[in-house]
Amino acid sequence: MDLRFTEQQEILKKSARDFLTKECPKAKVRELAKDSKGYDPAVWQKMAELGWLGFNIPEDYEGMGYSFEDLTMHIEEVGKNILPGPYISTVVNTFAIVEAGTDEQKKDLLPKISNGNCILTLAWFEENGQFDASGITLKATAKGNDFILSGTKVLADSAHVADYMIVVARTKAGSGEDGVTLFLVDAKSAGIKAELMPTIASDHLCEVVFKDVAVPAKNVLGKVDKGWAVLQTIIRKGSILKSAESLGGLSTVVEMTVAYAKERVQYDRPIGAFQALQHKMSDMWITMGTSRYLLYEAAWMESNNMPCAKEASMAKAYINEAYKLITALGVKLHGGIGTSYDHDAPLYFHRAKAADTVYGSTDFHRELVAQQIGLK
Amino acid sequence: MDFKLTDKQIEHRKECYKVCAELEKKKPKTWVGFESQFDNDEGWDFHRYCAKEFAKRGWLALGWPKEYGGTGDMMEKVLFAEARGYYDLAGSDIFGVSMLAPTLLAAGSEELKKEFLPKIASAELMFCELWSEPNSGSDLAGLQTSAVRKGDEFIVNGQKTWNTGAHRADWAFGVYKSDPNAKKHHNLTFMLCDMKTPGISVKGIPYMSGTHVYNEVYLDDVHIPAKYIVGQENEGWAVVNVLAGFERSNLDMVYGLVRGVEELVHFCNENKRGGQPLSKDPMVRNKVADIACQLEAVRTLAYRVADQQNRNEMGLMDAAAVKVFASELMEKYSHVACDILGPYGQVKHSKFAKMNGAPEYTYQGCFVPIVSMGTNEIQRNIIAWYGLGLPRMK
Repeated sequence: MDLRFTEQQEILKKSARDFLTKECPKAKVRELAKDSKGYDPAVWQKMAELGWLGFNIPEDYEGMGYSFEDLTMHIEEVGKNILPGPYISTVVNTFAIVEAGTDEQKKDLLPKISNGNCILTLAWFEENGQFDASGITLKATAKGNDFILSGTKVLADSAHVADYMIVVARTKAGSGEDGVTLFLVDAKSAGIKAELMPTIASDHLCEVVFKDVAVPAKNVLGKVDKGWAVLQTIIRKGSILKSAESLGGLSTVVEMTVAYAKERVQYDRPIGAFQALQHKMSDMWITMGTSRYLLYEAAWMESNNMPCAKEASMAKAYINEAYKLITALGVKLHGGIGTSYDHDAPLYFHRAKAADTVYGSTDFHRELVAQQIGLK
Repeated sequence: MDFKLTDKQIEHRKECYKVCAELEKKKPKTWVGFESQFDNDEGWDFHRYCAKEFAKRGWLALGWPKEYGGTGDMMEKVLFAEARGYYDLAGSDIFGVSMLAPTLLAAGSEELKKEFLPKIASAELMFCELWSEPNSGSDLAGLQTSAVRKGDEFIVNGQKTWNTGAHRADWAFGVYKSDPNAKKHHNLTFMLCDMKTPGISVKGIPYMSGTHVYNEVYLDDVHIPAKYIVGQENEGWAVVNVLAGFERSNLDMVYGLVRGVEELVHFCNENKRGGQPLSKDPMVRNKVADIACQLEAVRTLAYRVADQQNRNEMGLMDAAAVKVFASELMEKYSHVACDILGPYGQVKHSKFAKMNGAPEYTYQGCFVPIVSMGTNEIQRNIIAWYGLGLPRMK
């Protein structure tokens, strides 16, 4: 057992930190919130040049082939800074192609993703707000060499700028896991309309309407009717990586809050000298520590191909709540200034709320944990 | 990052679980939990029996340097604590094995090590701690029990309190005010003494559950030979701090909860309410899963502490975090478990009880780890001051 970062991980973290400090200061984060695209294509290209978009793509497909653990450490660092746009979405959904894609799908899409020429997103949620398989009602009907997709997806990250979407659809009557199929859908296909939904983190989530959209059968990702299993891969890996981003965010808030408490003077002393505030900050710190190793354990297991659905769900459920708790305390401990639009504390506070539904809410993951710990 | 144990460690853990599982079958009927070792004679006999079984295998010296009979691998000590915690066993003296032995190794003279380490490793001597006083709890350094030096010995007078197991222990380690004129933190001496020394009297303080765990200890002209000083005369505070750093990997507390969650899951699967197994109730599933998530979070942090200690890094802040989080999780767990038992949540260990009365026991027993070894509020101060660098209010 050795729970320290490797040298490679330290280098990855530093390079992410240096890059984002320069390319994505908080002024830009706020600017992008109001931007129609929601990301900066020039920065996206630089990220591709640094290899960021190919970290998890095998070298055979023009990627870097880094380990999942290294990727997790990198994403944590990205989360510290905040990077608006479809980065996490693209990286996580790339895994579905790497693991379940055909040779042709891989050859076609992976090099494009790695080179920064393909933004990828997931169209999973629907208006019913469900996370389980019975929530999937968007219909895909076989017709000749195509499937015809009809229905509406919501809260799809950056679907308005995406090149490809992984669409979770129903190919068989019923409401179970069997009959769910994943499709790789060209976002420019006729009949697709994406519209931005205003959300708490201004993070460019879309409603996507599919009106008789023809998708070639060769674009089925995995097997017909058996897409739920592929979605589990996305959920598991996505839960770990989204939690890594959250861990980065919450650790920045702890740091920022402690620094402010040391410099802000009231009653002739720094407010950090008051125990009422000290104990809240200690609790923030304890919550950060417990989040950290829970996440690292899941990342290490995933990286070594050990079954870790339980650990991934535990990390997501726990860190969802940790991020919300810490960012709310961060706002409160800053006092009035912490509630203002131009302060950094609300940037993280908003993202904590947004993060908690991505790849499954706390309650969704607690139910998965309940199954894994043997509750019949 | 590597969470993997070595083959040798895995083998050792397996052996620890095997031996502890056998010992669990020999628990006396009156055994409700860890504190039972102090409360009644059967409990104390069982504690000493387990201790002898562990001593036979060299397990009370795990983590010690090889020259004193250990294996030098801290992780083996941690894995042993894990197995003991899982089976809710005594047998490893919390004061002698967990606190005093590593303190002697770090700060004791060669004579003291030679005299006491073998007796701790063989389970011959059981210790208690004489620290807190009626007017000195969290502010331990302000204690008043005096130790006046007369030649080769000290004459000690005063009163100690909250002394866990003092009515059972053979020896004690204590801290006394040895220089009334010196500055705070440089006026205390840390000494060992035989609990049979004339002038020592012990009076029980019943815990809220009615069990006899805590005591008051009165010291009336107690003669302690100066050769039993640990560290330097008047520099006992430094020894207190060394000791405080050793007592907290807390894997045993964490694994007590691991077992607790397993038993709660089993209970929910096997018991019905309103014609339906409790395990089908979405509220029950959500609450139990939440506890399981928090438990895994603190379990991984406890391993982080063990990993640090294994490399001779103290990891004090993380250790404080584990102590606070695990003890408060014990409280939360007991509330969830008692709620699930419904009206049976209040029934004590008896033929009437469900889950052996463990939830009721934990519901009030959780305050022991919460307030002892430096209350959780003191731990939060320590994290704020030393971990976060926040100013200390004068």
